[in-house]
This record gives sequence, structure tokens and C-alpha cells, in this order.
Amino acid sequence: MSVQRVDPRPDASSVAGSPAAVSEQALGQDVREARRRRLRRARRRFLAIRIVSLLVVFAAWQLYGMHTIAILFAPITTVVHQGYLLFVNNGLGNELGYSMWTFAVGYAIGVSVGIVLGMLMGAYRWAEAAVSMYVFALYATPMVALVPIISLWIGFDATAQIVIIALFVTWPMTVTVFHGVRQIDAELMEVSRSLRLNRRQTWVHVLLPGAVPYVITGATQGVAMGLVGVIIAELQTQLSGLGSALQTQSQTYHTAAALAVVLLIMVLGVSLRAILGLVHRRLVPWLRIDRGDGREG
Amino acid sequence: MLTVLERGQTGVGELMAMEGAARAVEAPPLAGRAGGGRSDISCRGVYKWYGDSAVIANLDLSVAHNEFVCVVGPSGCGKTTLLRMLAGLAEHDSGSITIGGVPVTGPLPSVAVVFQHFGLFPWKTVFNNVALPMRAAGVAKDEARRRAEEAIALVGLRDSNDKYPAQLSGGMKQRVGLARALAMQPEVVLLDEPFAAVDAQTREILQEELLGLWSRYKQTALFITHSIDEAITLADRVVVMGTRPGRVIDDIVVPIERPRSVASVRRHESYAPLRERIWERLRTTAQPK
Repeated sequence: MSVQRVDPRPDASSVAGSPAAVSEQALGQDVREARRRRLRRARRRFLAIRIVSLLVVFAAWQLYGMHTIAILFAPITTVVHQGYLLFVNNGLGNELGYSMWTFAVGYAIGVSVGIVLGMLMGAYRWAEAAVSMYVFALYATPMVALVPIISLWIGFDATAQIVIIALFVTWPMTVTVFHGVRQIDAELMEVSRSLRLNRRQTWVHVLLPGAVPYVITGATQGVAMGLVGVIIAELQTQLSGLGSALQTQSQTYHTAAALAVVLLIMVLGVSLRAILGLVHRRLVPWLRIDRGDGREG
Repeated sequence: MLTVLERGQTGVGELMAMEGAARAVEAPPLAGRAGGGRSDISCRGVYKWYGDSAVIANLDLSVAHNEFVCVVGPSGCGKTTLLRMLAGLAEHDSGSITIGGVPVTGPLPSVAVVFQHFGLFPWKTVFNNVALPMRAAGVAKDEARRRAEEAIALVGLRDSNDKYPAQLSGGMKQRVGLARALAMQPEVVLLDEPFAAVDAQTREILQEELLGLWSRYKQTALFITHSIDEAITLADRVVVMGTRPGRVIDDIVVPIERPRSVASVRRHESYAPLRERIWERLRTTAQPK
């Protein structure tokens, strides 16, 4: 079937341009257009539900906060106001900056180590045999348990905090990427062999792109784990950052201010997740195809 | 099946290393590509064992240069195993398998495979799926682009260059699979039940298209199917495989002239007797003795 010997007549150049094939494509267009409309409707409906839900929860928070003692709880308006005051008077901005800095460094280390370890374990059985038991053991261990020992080894400064954050991120990342690489379709590996891709080409065209969705899933889990790591590290080593703000405010019974710090951490987590969601859409366009149920891949 | 076994002990990385060793055997010169060369398939006394049972026993099969042969057989007769051995994706335990006179020890550059489940990379667009094997083989970028675009146009997907496989119907996906094989300009095409995963109507359309493509670009083709109708429609010769162990139990020339269409084959006087004969052979092999 040498393609070079193509029939020169233009309208004969497409054997498959038969009416049946064309109508199949046209039908596909219609179906997709209808699905897009359905998706848009669904998206609007879910946005409305989300807004209503937020309004209900904030209203309940406000009402309950107004009818309870200030030492236990506070209405959301007070909490937001206290948060504003913390930024203006107590340098919460600096604390936030410090926490974000240690988080960024620890998270980057954790994600990188997780990708490399997970990929090696997924692609090579010898790597899995060599290290998987440690990875799974550490994955199953609450990292909090290691914090006192890490302090013993490294101390209480930012370095120790970064190591703790990285440890929180690394293991879920490694395990997710490992499963991702392992799950790359056996048939696709066979196709790669059949197409005579060499080792480098197989990594570039098959293993790495195939693992991207799992890397992003792991990175998203890593955000949550990393934030846990930040607060634990800041409470358990040298009191610093958002952890210190939280500790100070709650121990002095400034409950509204403590809640403000908690709210800030929540907003942080949600924002970072949202950013990763955008990254996901950018990096995995082949999964961004609507499934017609109002969700996207 | 073998993949699963292999993956039991080795990771994909190690599989790649093994494949690297197989690759050392180079294909014959491609000078004869335009049609004059020999690209025949020959299996002599081939055995394949899984544990203690022979999946394929003493199989002899030959496909002449530029001949289209369909292999029909019941499930479990080892027809897919046969194709995987020809494609260099599985090893045979004894006997000889050669393509164009070259012993098959790994995937040969002169052979293209069309997979049952399409074998498209979900993260690559139609165009990049078709261009990948050429780029991997070191075909210059412009040349690869031209060949890929031509092949995609040939299967009627000119407007789908930038779509991802998930955006295509099953029939369109397999057209991409065909385009990828076409663009590789192989001497031999192996098709593993390529139309089994699409609906009946699309299947007939694809058969029609394959008849058209093959009548223009005649080359050696081995097409695995479990459909008798499909085999008679497409093949110059139908090879019937029996089960337990897999072996050739009948070999029938299809005396229907080309060009053919799905309808003209059905109307042909020899269609019914052929169908009867193949069905009879399959029925007897499927029955326990």
C-alpha cells in the first residue's frame, strides 16, 4: 500500500469519502453539538447549586456564631474582620509568606522525588523489587510519627520543616505515579514495540504522556498532604508561619482570629487545587473531552 | 496472553530492553517495495506452547507476495497468537517463521500491524498517531507529514487531523489505524480482527473501504477474523484453523474476481458453497471429539 502511488484524480483520492463515511462524520458533529449544549446547561446548574450551598452554610455559620459565646465560635463576619486585622496589625502576611515558602520548596522536592521514584518503580520490576517495600511502609506510616526524630536529626529550623513537608508529599505522589505507569495499557506497550519505538521514544511518546494524568492526581493529593505537613512542622518544630499564628491566637482564646487563620489555610488549599485543575486541563487535553454528564476529564 | 505472562516478571522498561536486542536483526533491503520484491510469509512446522499445552502445533502456512489471506477460526484456536508471532511480538517455540525470507525475531520494519482495539495513543492527535512510526523510524519531517496527510485523506479523515482518538467513533478510530499502517509503506500488513470492535454496519463500510484500498495498493496481507463472510469478502484465499491445538485444517481459494464489493461478493454463485464449506469445517473442529 505504498502511499506514493496515489491516484492523481482529486476526487478519487479518498476511497473512504463514500457517502456512508461522510454521514457518519456529520452525525458525529450533530451528536457532539447536542452534547456540548447539554454540558453547558449542566455546568450552569451545578454552579447555581454551589452558590446556594455556600449561602446556606455561611448563613448558618453567621446565625450560630451570633448566638454562642465568643470564646467558642464567632460569626463569619467577625472572623473575616479579625483576619483583616491580623494582616494589618499582627503581620499575618509575613507568616503566610514564610509558610508558603517552606511549602513551595518542600512540595517541589516531594513531587520531584515522587515522580522519579514512581516512574522507576512502575517501569522497572527491579526498581520495584528494590524499593517498593520502603515506599509502601512509609506511605502507610503517619508522617507525624517521624517529626520528633527528624527534629532530633536536623533540628528545628526551616530545613527541618522543608524535609517534613517533602516527606508528607513524597509517598502519596510516588504511589500514585507508580500505579499510573503500571496501568499504561499493555496493548499500547505492544503497539510501541510493533512500531519499533526505541527506549527513548517509548519514554517520550508513551510512558511519560501516559503518566501525566497520574502525576497531576498525585500532585493534587500532594497539596493537601503538604499543607498538613506545613502546619504540623510549624507546630512541632520551631513555632513559625501560619502554625504559629494559629497557636498564638487559639491559646489566647482569640477564637475568631484562630478561625480566621483556619479559613486562610482552607482558602489556600482550595486555590492551589484550582491552579492544579487548570494545569491538568492544559497538560491533558486528550482527556478534556466532555463526557456529557456535566463533568470533565 | 504472553504480554500478561511477561509483565508478571518484567516491567515495561525491561521489555523495551529485550526489544532492543531483537531489533539488532535488520530487515532486508527495501528496494523491492514498489511491487517487484518478495514479501511472502512462510510458517513451517511452527509450535507454540503455554505450559504443557500446545496452542499451536505443527502449523504450516504461506502467503504469497501480494496475496490477501484471511485466517478464520473459532475463539482459542491461536489465530491471534499466530499473528503476534508474525508481528514479532511473541516468540514461537519451534519451527520457522520468515517474512520476505528473513526469520522473524522481533518486529520487522517492513511489517505493519492493525490492531483489534485500534492501538492508538490517546494523548496524540490523529495526525501525530499516524506520523509517529515514521518519525520514530527517522523519516524526514516533511516526508512524514506528506505521507501522514495523504494516508489520513485516503481513509476519509482529512478534517480530523487534529482530533484526539476519544473524539472519534470506533469506525473512525480503525480508519486511523489503517492510515497509520498505510503511511508506514509496509510490504506486509497484518490485521488482527480489525473490525471486530465496531458495529455491524460500520464493519461492512470498512470492509468496502479496505477492498478499495487493497485493490490499489496490493500488498501481502494476513487478516485474522472469526467472521466467515468477512473472510470470503476480502480474501484471495481463506485458511481455516482448528482448535486444540491450533493448526490449519483447510485452505480454500476464493474464486471471486476483483474488483469486488460487499454486495457483489454476496451475489456471487460461489459465495454460498464457500460459506457452507468453511462453516462445515469450523463446526466439526468446534465439536469435542
